[in-house]
Amino acid sequence: MKKILTSALLVAMAVSSWAQTPEEKGLEIAIEGDKRSEGYGDSKVKLKMVLIDKKGRQSSRDMRVKGLEGKGGEGDKSLMIFDTPKDQKGVAMLTFTHKVKSDDQWLFLPALKRVKKISSRNKSGPFVGSEFAFEDISSQEVEKYTYKYLRDETVNGMDCFVVENIPTDKYSGYTKQVVWIDKAEYRAVKIEYYDRKKSLLKTLVSQDYKQYLGKYWRPSLMVMTNHQTGKSTRLVYEDYAFNVGLKEKAFTKNSLKRAR
Amino acid sequence: MMSKLTAPVVTGLTLTAALMTAVSSHAEIAIDAQLDYEISAYFNDRATSFLNSSIVDQRINNSVSLELELFTAWDNDDQTITFKPFFRQDEMDDERTHGDIRELMWNKLSDDYELKLGVGKVFWGVTESAHLVDIINQTDSVESIDGEQKLGQPMVQVLLEREWGNLDLFVLPYFRERTFAGSQARLSAGLDYAAADYESSSAEQNIDFAMRFNSYIDDFEYALSAFHGTSREAVVGFDYKAVDGVLVADQFRSYYPIISQIGVEVQYLNEGWAWKFEGIVRDGVPVSYYVNSTELLTWILQSEVIEELTGEKMPVPETMEISKGENYFATAAGFEYTQVGIWETRIDLGWVVEHIYDSRQEKASPGAFEHDVLLATRWAANDDADSTLLAGVVYDYEYEDYSVSIEGNTRLFDGLSLAVEARVFAPANDSPQIAFRDEDFVKLTLSYYL
Repeated sequence: MKKILTSALLVAMAVSSWAQTPEEKGLEIAIEGDKRSEGYGDSKVKLKMVLIDKKGRQSSRDMRVKGLEGKGGEGDKSLMIFDTPKDQKGVAMLTFTHKVKSDDQWLFLPALKRVKKISSRNKSGPFVGSEFAFEDISSQEVEKYTYKYLRDETVNGMDCFVVENIPTDKYSGYTKQVVWIDKAEYRAVKIEYYDRKKSLLKTLVSQDYKQYLGKYWRPSLMVMTNHQTGKSTRLVYEDYAFNVGLKEKAFTKNSLKRAR
Repeated sequence: MMSKLTAPVVTGLTLTAALMTAVSSHAEIAIDAQLDYEISAYFNDRATSFLNSSIVDQRINNSVSLELELFTAWDNDDQTITFKPFFRQDEMDDERTHGDIRELMWNKLSDDYELKLGVGKVFWGVTESAHLVDIINQTDSVESIDGEQKLGQPMVQVLLEREWGNLDLFVLPYFRERTFAGSQARLSAGLDYAAADYESSSAEQNIDFAMRFNSYIDDFEYALSAFHGTSREAVVGFDYKAVDGVLVADQFRSYYPIISQIGVEVQYLNEGWAWKFEGIVRDGVPVSYYVNSTELLTWILQSEVIEELTGEKMPVPETMEISKGENYFATAAGFEYTQVGIWETRIDLGWVVEHIYDSRQEKASPGAFEHDVLLATRWAANDDADSTLLAGVVYDYEYEDYSVSIEGNTRLFDGLSLAVEARVFAPANDSPQIAFRDEDFVKLTLSYYL
């Protein structure tokens, strides 16, 4: 039912595109991008996070991420398990993304066997010491922003839409994001983040996109650069797998305790 | 000392060998290890001490510990075995030199339930200052005085995960006695513990039962729990001896009663606030474990005379008596407020305020907080070394005494971490905490992960 409605909406928007406002066009692009990533079911990926400071010193973290696509009106679920640094091994984080209300998030501390709920107020805070904030790594639901199409622009030879996203959550650390989306595949190839004082804070560049199951595009490398501190964080994705048969029971509060 | 170490190790290794053989067709075993070196320095600023001089002279203590973790999974990861043996060698304290099976658990996951069989650890609770509800595991108090280090608990656990919440059912077939520092070591008050006394006629083999239901609605989380069996917390008394016609404490006596406990946990997250409440009602706890002083007095007055007359020593009378069990309640309630990115840095600053209350008041067991307030700040640097700092003061507003603690953690490089813990005790003269008066310490721990 929802799909029919969405399609009807898209058709209606396409027909009336001559009268489209920048806001309508922005939303249309976001909905199309979201639609193209629908139906992946579940996924698994290995992730290496490399933190690079101003002087170029590096430290790294290894983690694995399992994802489960939300059904009906629900957002996606994700489980992130840390393998290194070694003292963090077994730390796991479960996130239930919601389209409108704040996400639910729990952290498992293996030494104490304690599961702690994390406040969604923390979303603007750095994620495990990196230049990514919690909100940058969480599942991007259409409802989390309002949109405004700005212009067309070419990035690395790719024809892109440039869209301004304004977070709807008052706890977001950003006043706006400017997103470059390639017209061919609707992939976010570049995002600029503007802080609460409206100045440019960070730039995320996603590259080496690969296609999985003949449908889903995922970057192999994401680089987040913080312009105010000179630090950056690289995310290197490996061994992506989709539709591997993960079940709901692998994404529960209790499953955190046996996540490995 | 050796036998104390070897017994659990041999048992553990034998069991593991058997289990690992049983699953040898899937012989992939992951092994991890954590090696800790710890050095503690003790301070006391008073000319006289309650402690005997041999303890006071122990200014520096070295200790090492090793925890291994062996893990294997099969049946599409629906069945796993985890084995975590732990050993510590302590320079000064023979009681702290100990081994334990922290975990030896077979875990089976099916569509409708999860089954755990073996030795393991379970944590219940939400508050920081006191862990009132947490009752499955015994505290390994020689490891740390914060009560957060636990001995492995033998158990059968069935977990039902449903739409309406999670229900955990436990059968606990064996009781572990709490560990205590030896009389010649720090944090012991200079007294040894006599063998434990139990209310249950089957002593540590009493079968205990527990259950816990937990669920959440958005940012509101709650849990209800129940326990029936041998209390993890002992009622403590003293054995006395006569020295020059005066009664002096000789050793601790601990009595583990059979109790029933109902526990409630509530946590509500709202913006930067985390509101927390834990409460228990316990039934069957004796108020005291006391000495029948009339018999003792008689013994003191007569024993020397009788010894002179007969040449035989008169045995010290069995004088411990247990008052009638009664019920009481205890609560811990408060909040943690977190400011994300203070002063436009990456640092998160948390403020923790909790109030702890025990309806027994001055009759509460020595480890309990009768009427205390915790004020603490938690700092998270959010740096690449995951540095954190927790500094707090626990203030007892009735006795007007307090203790201060600082705990910090950072990573030197991948595989090596450093932890700092410092505690200062400032008990009032009539406070049950007086035994800690001269035990202020700073402890550094280096943890190496293999």
